[in-house]
Amino acid sequence: MLRRTTLKLMATLTAASLLPLGASAEMPATIDKPVTISFYNYNLASAGIGSEATKELIAGFEKKFPNVKVETIAVPSNEIINRVQADIVAGKQPDVAQLTFRDLIFIASDLGGNALEDMVKPAELKDHLAGMIPKGLELGKVDGKTYGLAYTFSTPVLYYNGDLFKQAGLDPNNPPKTWADVNIAGKAIKEKTGKNGFFPGAYGPSDGTFVYQAIVMSNGGKVRDGNKLAFADKNAAEAVRMLRDMVDSGAHAKIDPASGSDTFAAGNLGMFVYTTATLGAYKKAAQGKFDLRIAPMPSFGEKPTAPTNSGSALFVFSKDPAKQRAAYELLKYLTSKEAYTIITSKIGYLPLRLDIVDDANYLGPWVKENPMFRANLEQLNRLTANVAFPGPNYRQVEKMMMDSVREAVFGKGDPIATLKAAQDQGQELMP
Amino acid sequence: MTDIQADLARPLALARVPTAARQRSTFTVQPWLYLAPALCLLMMWTYVPLVEAFQLSFYQWNMLPTSPQRYVGLTNYQRLFALPEMRAALWNTLFYILGLFPMSVIIPLFVAIWTQDLEGRARTIYRALIFVPMIVAPVVAAILWRWLLNEDQGLITLGLETTGLGRIGFLTDPKYALATLTWITGWKLIGFSTLLFSAANAGINPSYIEAARIDGASRWGIIRDIRLPLLSPTILLLSMMTILFGAQWSFAYINVLTNGGPLKSTTNIFYLLWEYGFQTMSAGWSSAAGMIAFAGFAVIAAGCMWLTKRFAVYDN
Repeated sequence: MLRRTTLKLMATLTAASLLPLGASAEMPATIDKPVTISFYNYNLASAGIGSEATKELIAGFEKKFPNVKVETIAVPSNEIINRVQADIVAGKQPDVAQLTFRDLIFIASDLGGNALEDMVKPAELKDHLAGMIPKGLELGKVDGKTYGLAYTFSTPVLYYNGDLFKQAGLDPNNPPKTWADVNIAGKAIKEKTGKNGFFPGAYGPSDGTFVYQAIVMSNGGKVRDGNKLAFADKNAAEAVRMLRDMVDSGAHAKIDPASGSDTFAAGNLGMFVYTTATLGAYKKAAQGKFDLRIAPMPSFGEKPTAPTNSGSALFVFSKDPAKQRAAYELLKYLTSKEAYTIITSKIGYLPLRLDIVDDANYLGPWVKENPMFRANLEQLNRLTANVAFPGPNYRQVEKMMMDSVREAVFGKGDPIATLKAAQDQGQELMP
Repeated sequence: MTDIQADLARPLALARVPTAARQRSTFTVQPWLYLAPALCLLMMWTYVPLVEAFQLSFYQWNMLPTSPQRYVGLTNYQRLFALPEMRAALWNTLFYILGLFPMSVIIPLFVAIWTQDLEGRARTIYRALIFVPMIVAPVVAAILWRWLLNEDQGLITLGLETTGLGRIGFLTDPKYALATLTWITGWKLIGFSTLLFSAANAGINPSYIEAARIDGASRWGIIRDIRLPLLSPTILLLSMMTILFGAQWSFAYINVLTNGGPLKSTTNIFYLLWEYGFQTMSAGWSSAAGMIAFAGFAVIAAGCMWLTKRFAVYDN
């Protein structure tokens, strides 16, 4: 009896250990049998608009593919990678996940994400990717292979409160173009209205690094150069010093870093640099309360800005060929023209298929009604990749960097020396 | 605490057992069987993880089974001690503990003694009011305080502004944030401690107090010479709990309200090790920080136990 059980157990174990080999089998062209795939998504974890639009997309997919059932797992964006990792550790293989770019290298090298080139026939893949913004696709690649399919994208824009501008004697039709303008406008708002002038969504726990990196790269800086950290080097550090100077002048608010978004939505902040993904939410909050406006992100004098993408890519982890097919179909559906029409108009992310913007069947009517969204579209041409950190300690390095940025901006010491000290410490943790 | 009571209950019965009888008793399975469930749980949830954490503190690993654990010797400890945030966290931990003392021991002690003399309904209502914060869920309490202390709309901030004190960034100014979090943690604790003190106070034999009154003792005299000495085991227990767990109790509020900020002014050793482990996925650093905390608190706990044995007065 005991022996039989042991044998059975061993047989199961052998079968299980063979599974990864089975994964290299080619995935079928169609989905013939019912299959259930899991989808880890962070838009679903947000309250309201992002979640509703995502549910609508998944319902549309399940209608188109009645054989596939999508089991959704909603996790907030700053925790989703930990959840995917925890589930892999627990032996619960995720199929599709919406993850951010900061974890890209880790997903490809450690978490076992599938490269689309290894999974899908070249012709089929090429067919689907045609029409998508090449710069966007480039962002999901590691060593030339696409691990993440660009999905929801946005760039930082300058949201501003037209009413506060008027009260401060500023012209809402002439938004600040450079950081020097932001400093002047921020001071005016602070002094004349008593409300907060300017704040970037760069320091909060769920903000990632994209707003910070966009500011740094707009000044010609970089957070790392190969395996060498560079966030305390000249241009990058000067960008942070600019923020610190605005704190000292009073233009830059000193609020809880996690509350920038709420403060702006409540009408208590004049200017807020943040992702367009929150546009839908602000529109709802501003309705009847204040005049919401959008402008491209400010620049350093004449230097061109470097709008860094925030947002996510879709990653496939499935090992089973049938599930891989279902997962790929989900990817295709979520990055189709129909899907981007919903994603852009309802949530506020960028359409990664620009041909739908003026197409009357897709986004045409909506863009006409919401001309302010063009600020975001215009920045797409200069889209700059968010730089991810490599190596097993990448999260810690990132945390050290962001901690030092907070210290440099809000602290008392010399901002550049603060960054330098953190850079030296972080460098030891780089591969 | 329970150990000490057991000590007191045991002595006479044990001492009378003749030595020969004790030697005759051989090893029996039964007591071990009774102990097994508790021992298993203790091993599984406390000692095995402790040993594993000790091991992990010498490795560099990102908690992924597919990635290798690299032996790095004492590097994790060296790095931690070199980090300014570790020093800040240790100082903050001390501040949390000291700051919690008045609210977890001193105020509840006097509230319990004072309310003892209240009659009937007044006492019930008064104690219920004090106890309410304790049953509010930590995260809910944290969010309530966030709203109350919000710099733009918070009732407390606006109230202070009308009194001419100006706006205070209770959660955003590094000068006040730590004190604010200590207060919130302590506010939640007052009810719990008051409950324990009230129970201990009610357990004091009334005949002592009557006797003292007949002898003409004043109210303060009774408190000083009868109540306080007889409450000393509870006072020492709660002091020990505050020292050993106080900083841990603040975790939920740090996590919800400040994430250790502004500028790391509210982080403590427990929050830091959680951040290393589960935010930046560095098992080595987290375990090393855990070991440092464990060693430190083990020494303190031993000291506290000694103090309890030395100073507690039991009424037997």
